[in-house]
Amino acid sequence: MSVSAVGGQSAVAIAQLVKMRAQYDDLQRQLSTGQKSSTYAGLGLDRGVTVSLNAQLSQMSGYDSTIQTANTRISLMNTALGQMTDITSQVKAAMVQANTTGSNGSGPSLAQQTAQSSLDQIIGLLNTQSGDRYLFSGKATDTPATDTTDHILNGDGSKAGLKQLISERTQADLGADGLGRLAINATSTTSMNMAEDSASPFGFKLASVTTNLTGVNVAGPTGVPASLDIDTTGSTPNDGETLTLRFNMPDGTSQTMTLTATTSTTPSAGQFTIGATDADTATNLQAAITAGVTSLGKTSLTASSAVAASNDFFDADSGNPPMRVDGPPFDTATGMVAGTTANSVIWYTGETGTDSARATATAQIDPSLTVNYGARANEVGFRTLIQNIATLAAVPISGTDPNGRDLSTALNQKLTVNMAGAPGDQTVTNIATDLAGAQTSMQAATARHQQSTATLGDFLQSIQGVSNEEVGTELLALQTRMQASMQTTAMLFQTSLVNYLPK
Amino acid sequence: MSLSQALSAAISGLQVNQAGLALVAANVANADTPGYIRKTVTQVATAGNGTGISVYMSGVQRELDTYIQSQLRTENSGASYATTRSQALDQLQDVYGTPGSANTLESVYNTFTNSLQALQSSPDDSAARSAVISAAQLLTQQLNQSSNSIQALRGNAELGISSAVTQANDAMTQIAALNQKIAAAGSGNTDSATATLLDQRDSYVDQLSQLMDVKVIKGDNNQISVFTNSGIQLVGTKASQLSFDAQGTIGAGSLWNSDPDKRGVGTLTLVSPTGGSVDLIQSHSIRSGAIAAYLQLRDQDLVQAQNQLDGIASAMASALSDKTTAGDPVTSGLQNGFQVDISGLSAGNKITVNYTDSLTNTAHTITMERVDDPSVLPLANDAAASPNNKVVGIDFSGGMSSVMAQITQALGGTGMVASNPSGNTLQVLDDGAGNICDVTSLTTTKTATTLSSGDVQVPFFTDGTSSYTGAITAQGAQSVGLAGRISVNSALLADPSKLVAFAPGTAVGDSTRPDFLFSQLTSGNMQFSADTGIGTAGQPYSGSISTFLRQVVSAQGETASAASNLKDGQDVVLSSLQQRFNDSSSVNVDQEMANLLTLQNAYAANARVLSTVKQMFDTLIQM
Repeated sequence: MSVSAVGGQSAVAIAQLVKMRAQYDDLQRQLSTGQKSSTYAGLGLDRGVTVSLNAQLSQMSGYDSTIQTANTRISLMNTALGQMTDITSQVKAAMVQANTTGSNGSGPSLAQQTAQSSLDQIIGLLNTQSGDRYLFSGKATDTPATDTTDHILNGDGSKAGLKQLISERTQADLGADGLGRLAINATSTTSMNMAEDSASPFGFKLASVTTNLTGVNVAGPTGVPASLDIDTTGSTPNDGETLTLRFNMPDGTSQTMTLTATTSTTPSAGQFTIGATDADTATNLQAAITAGVTSLGKTSLTASSAVAASNDFFDADSGNPPMRVDGPPFDTATGMVAGTTANSVIWYTGETGTDSARATATAQIDPSLTVNYGARANEVGFRTLIQNIATLAAVPISGTDPNGRDLSTALNQKLTVNMAGAPGDQTVTNIATDLAGAQTSMQAATARHQQSTATLGDFLQSIQGVSNEEVGTELLALQTRMQASMQTTAMLFQTSLVNYLPK
Repeated sequence: MSLSQALSAAISGLQVNQAGLALVAANVANADTPGYIRKTVTQVATAGNGTGISVYMSGVQRELDTYIQSQLRTENSGASYATTRSQALDQLQDVYGTPGSANTLESVYNTFTNSLQALQSSPDDSAARSAVISAAQLLTQQLNQSSNSIQALRGNAELGISSAVTQANDAMTQIAALNQKIAAAGSGNTDSATATLLDQRDSYVDQLSQLMDVKVIKGDNNQISVFTNSGIQLVGTKASQLSFDAQGTIGAGSLWNSDPDKRGVGTLTLVSPTGGSVDLIQSHSIRSGAIAAYLQLRDQDLVQAQNQLDGIASAMASALSDKTTAGDPVTSGLQNGFQVDISGLSAGNKITVNYTDSLTNTAHTITMERVDDPSVLPLANDAAASPNNKVVGIDFSGGMSSVMAQITQALGGTGMVASNPSGNTLQVLDDGAGNICDVTSLTTTKTATTLSSGDVQVPFFTDGTSSYTGAITAQGAQSVGLAGRISVNSALLADPSKLVAFAPGTAVGDSTRPDFLFSQLTSGNMQFSADTGIGTAGQPYSGSISTFLRQVVSAQGETASAASNLKDGQDVVLSSLQQRFNDSSSVNVDQEMANLLTLQNAYAANARVLSTVKQMFDTLIQM
């Protein structure tokens, strides 16, 4: 509205002055706040764009902090994975060392000690936290990924641990007589029979028998439970001829036992003396087989049994407790039974799900780009490591038992093979590769965001902000105009005829 | 010719000079009086006896340019309208905050979505959960506060009308009273007193012209009649009176309606001296001036601003809580269609049938909305924001058979067949062999009511303490004024872990629900009603809440800026008109001083004549 109240000639002049003053105040505000306007109305046509830009910038900063968080977590996971690889190498080295040191060496126990401490470390690494978040528990980020090393190995109160399962399985596999659930009996003076004691999953499973012993006849294995026959009637074995038995082992491997005929009266292990008669040969052969089986039972079968028990123990989660030997008594058990969470330690305590472990933690790093970086400690890659190292730590190897060394060797061989995993199985390296992929995507996104943020920020500034130089210049120009205008207005008011009338 | 004639001529000259001097004095004294019109003496030479010449003051002339005066009044109304509206819209701009500051609606909204991003990456972090809750609370408070501010501005407009009405009544009464006084003074030449009365009356008309658009018709005897531009008489010989029943409390639901029972705000009535009355709002009689600006603000601008906030609030609530389930395809003989479970619908939830009219190949939508208050039936087609839409309210109180009857009726004439194969299942099939229509989809939209239903949808925001389903009741749509009532679900406040736990046993690190919340708020496609002023009924605005927010800020900024530009323009026009008016009608002291000198000289000259005549008389007498 105009200033009609002031009357006089100056309505327009005064309105102009008021307007200039308002402009002056606004320029001053612009200079002090750096903002073009204090309302959206004053921003001009691009005001809507600022809303979008702010939203984009805000989202971008959200994505960036997501990336930062995820990056921290992935770095921690990478560190853990790297250490796990180192630890694995150490354990492998210790096993090789154990195999090459002398029979009286402290190799086996050293390897076991290494395994024990490595297990501690790996469990520690799998329970790595970023803040309060467990990184290897899938979506259950508030619970540790695994139980403690002590509970895993030794059990927790009434819940059985790995050692207990190995012990039960060893009893079941060896049988009371240590013959691996086989019965070896003479069926006549010149023939013998080997039979599994039951159709159980335990002990040696007869796979085949072959021989080139002249005149010795072998038959089988046939039937369920399987049995085979060896007949020496009318045989004339020669020195160096052999008989080979092949057994399927509890862990799915097979084991051969070869007995070589010798004329020596003091046969060493794996040899039998060719007797003067068929009956003598049969007796010697049976004794050699029994000794061989007993020896294999204490070494290869025990190792294989431990691997099988360990496999059962680690192939379990809370919804799926481990399979255990149906006993006691264990040495005559004929089947497996599912354990319960009440009687068995569940080593993996994180979240289980059928979806990909990687998808258990996601980071949306762009409007359309999501990277996955979750992990579960029971993924094959981790499980392979922890299972084999725990097995090595858990199998009782006596330093005084003459078979101790062989048991150690058998175990180390199996574990070394198992640690490498079957071709196509996931390894820790695969997991690290997945994470590296996520990190690469995030790095690229960060770079993109930096560039976009700068561009959008500039754009926003060009709409919302002011250039100090420009405002300063305008301010000066306006000041000059105002001064001039005020001066002339004042002069106009002073120039009145009243002043010049004769007094 | 005689000396005495000269004497009397000189005396009359002196008298006119004195009167002129008195007017100069009055002009100078009133130089700054608003509404004062410069007066000049009208002097006439008189001749007596064919020879004598004298001077006579015939009256006082008001130096008034009536053409400019009427222009000025029109622009005065316009300027007053523009100023009032611009000032209020400037205040409304404050509701949206200072761009770039932390208290704008957009930045509070961004903070909220940002907190959800943090929750996405750390669903297990209770600090992140609390941050989401407090950011959401901040957002609802901001909406509540903005809504309150808008309603307060509407309340101000209501009060503004009220006080404008008082002023207008006063002015109209005064104009009528002055009309009578001027009539009493009679016609003919105006004297100084009458001129002052005219000045006063003009000043009241000026006042009135600031309040509304007026047209002044001059009658005989210096009388005027005042009309609105729409032709309603305000003042004749007597004044009409305006009445306005201002309402004390104004909320989002208080709207103007021609039906007094449904009206939540005051209405403006003109009572003529004869007792007839007319509703000026209904007849759109006031088109300019402060009153028109207040009405525009109260009933249009601010209502739209509120609708926009309500649109944001209801979109936020629905985006997070509404689950849309597509029907399963079924085939029966030649007929194809869909089946969907229609149990568990809350009032305001919808069953949507999309079909194509095969004859014209046009896509149509029939939206069937659950209504628990049968008094609002039938619903208008704009009850749901979607084009080519037919909206039908379905009353569920009569059980499934009644519902099916209503649905069958709703689908009537389309060729589609609705049936109820079992339980709560609704089956809609096309017409089969006839092939005049094809059912493209059948969906239900249900509002989640519990926090851990197993669905990612969650009733994150509530309408006060009750859930928001968009129900339509006799009190109006639930969305009206939602921005003022929206709050974070108190159950969620009590248990923020439900931000993550969408089902019993959800792992704490599961980001499924935070992912959903974030994507719904930033990219979920929503449709917004045309009464927000964004989009049209035929093509409602459809986009994410963020982009709608952009449209709102843009539109409001544009409105305020346009109003401000209009005001600036009006100010310039008014100033220059005022200047022209002043040039011709107001007192110029220099001019008066010049007159003073002239009068002084004339007075001296007359006095000289007088003194010469005296000398001549003396000479004559001494002879």
